[in-house]
Amino acid sequence: MSKFRKNDDKKAPGINTSSLPDIVFMLLFFFMVATTTKEVDPLVKVDPAQGVGLNDLTPFKQRSEVDFLYLGEPLSGDDEKFKDGIAVQYDGIIHKDGIEHIGKWKNDKFSSKPEEFTAPKEEVITCFKADEKVPMGIIFQARDILQEENFNSIGYYAREKGNKNGYNIRQQ
Amino acid sequence: MAKREAPEINAGSMADIAFLLLIFFLVTTTMDKDLAYLRTIPKKVENQEKQPPVQKKNIYKIVINSKQVIQARDSLIKPENIESLNSRIKHFYLVNRDKKENRALDYPYYAFGTKAAFQQKLDIAYNGLDAYESKDVLTERDEKIIEQFNNEIQEWNKKIEMIELYTKFSGKKEMPEIALQAHVRLESFIKTDYSAYVAVQSEVEKAVTELRDEESEALFNITYTAMKKYYQQNKLENTPKVREYRKYMDLIELLYPLRLIEVKPNR
Repeated sequence: MSKFRKNDDKKAPGINTSSLPDIVFMLLFFFMVATTTKEVDPLVKVDPAQGVGLNDLTPFKQRSEVDFLYLGEPLSGDDEKFKDGIAVQYDGIIHKDGIEHIGKWKNDKFSSKPEEFTAPKEEVITCFKADEKVPMGIIFQARDILQEENFNSIGYYAREKGNKNGYNIRQQ
Repeated sequence: MAKREAPEINAGSMADIAFLLLIFFLVTTTMDKDLAYLRTIPKKVENQEKQPPVQKKNIYKIVINSKQVIQARDSLIKPENIESLNSRIKHFYLVNRDKKENRALDYPYYAFGTKAAFQQKLDIAYNGLDAYESKDVLTERDEKIIEQFNNEIQEWNKKIEMIELYTKFSGKKEMPEIALQAHVRLESFIKTDYSAYVAVQSEVEKAVTELRDEESEALFNITYTAMKKYYQQNKLENTPKVREYRKYMDLIELLYPLRLIEVKPNR
C-alpha cells in the first residue's frame, strides 16, 4: 500500500483570495509613487549618453522650469530628409526646420507659461535629450540661437552610469 | 423596529479594479528620472572689446576630436582611459593650493585674501564713487563708471561676507582663491559624438564636485551635493535654512569655482 495514494474522492481546497486586492493595491501605490508620467511619445530614437554626478531635474520639472527637446534618428520615415540624419522633436512634433526652429519654440513656450511662473528667461532650462551619436555641431548651433534669444541655461541630458561600467563611447 | 442586518458587499471584483488601475499606471508612466548636466551660456555682448590674452598656465584645455580621441593639455587620452581626467583636473586645482612659494609654473597660482585687504578695496571703490557722484554734470561715460563702481562695491561686500564665513568655520584668517582667469576650456569638433562630450563633462563635474564635497564636509559637516539638492528642491521658499545653504554654497563655489568654457567648433 503506497503512502502517496491519490485520493480521488477529496476536492482541492479553495484558495482564499480575499487579500488579493490588498496586494494589488500595494503594488499600485508603489508604482504611483515611484514613477513619473510620460510627457510625450518619442518620435526619434534616443539612446542617452552616460555620466556620473548628474543633476536631478525633477524639482525643475515640478516648477516647469525646464523644456525638453529630442535629437536623434527619426523612428519612422527616412533620415535622408534631415540634415546629418538627425531629426529634432519639439514636444509632439518633428519640425521641418530642424534646430533652427528652437528660438521660436522657446519664445512660444515662455510666453505660454502660467501667470504665477516667476523664473526669468535666463533661468528656464533647455534640456537636450540627445542620442549618443548626435554630433556636437548641431548642439552648438542651438546654443548660438539660445544665446541670441537670452535663454542662458541649458542641460545636457544623460543617464547615470554605474561605477563599474565604463563610458559608452564609439571608437573609430 | 426589528434590527436588520446590513447586506454584505461583494468585494470579489475589487482585485480586478485594482489590477486595472495598476496596469493603467504601468503603461502611462516611466521609471527613470530626468538627469542632466546644467550649464549656462554666457550672456551675449554687443561690442566685443579685445580682451587681454589669458596666461597659458591658467587654462586647462581639453580637445575632443571627431574620432573621440581626447587631448588634455599635452597628453592624449584614449576613450577607455577617460577616467584619468578626474585626477588630472584635481591636480590642476590643487597643485598650487596653499603654496606661496615653490609654485608649479604651469598651473594657476593662488591668491590669499584677507578681510583687511578686501576692506581696503571696498574703501577705494567707495572713494571712487564719491568722486564721481559729487560732479555737477554727469556724462554718459560717467554714469557707466558709477555703475561699475556700484558693481565693485557689491562684489567686495560679498567677498567680505564670504571671508567672515570662512574664518568662522575654518579658523583661518586667509582665504585661498584660485586665479580669477583659471578655467577649463572644452573644445570639440563638429562631428564629435554627444556621448564623448558628455563623458568629458561628467569627469569635469565629478572632479570639481569631489573637491567641493570634501571642503564642504570639513567646513560645514554636510556635503555640497546634499546642500545643492535641498536648495534646488526648496529654492522658492524663503526659509532660513534655504538662505543659509545658499550662503554656504556660495562660499564653496568661491573656493572651488567651476569655470568651464565650451568653445564653438569650427571644423
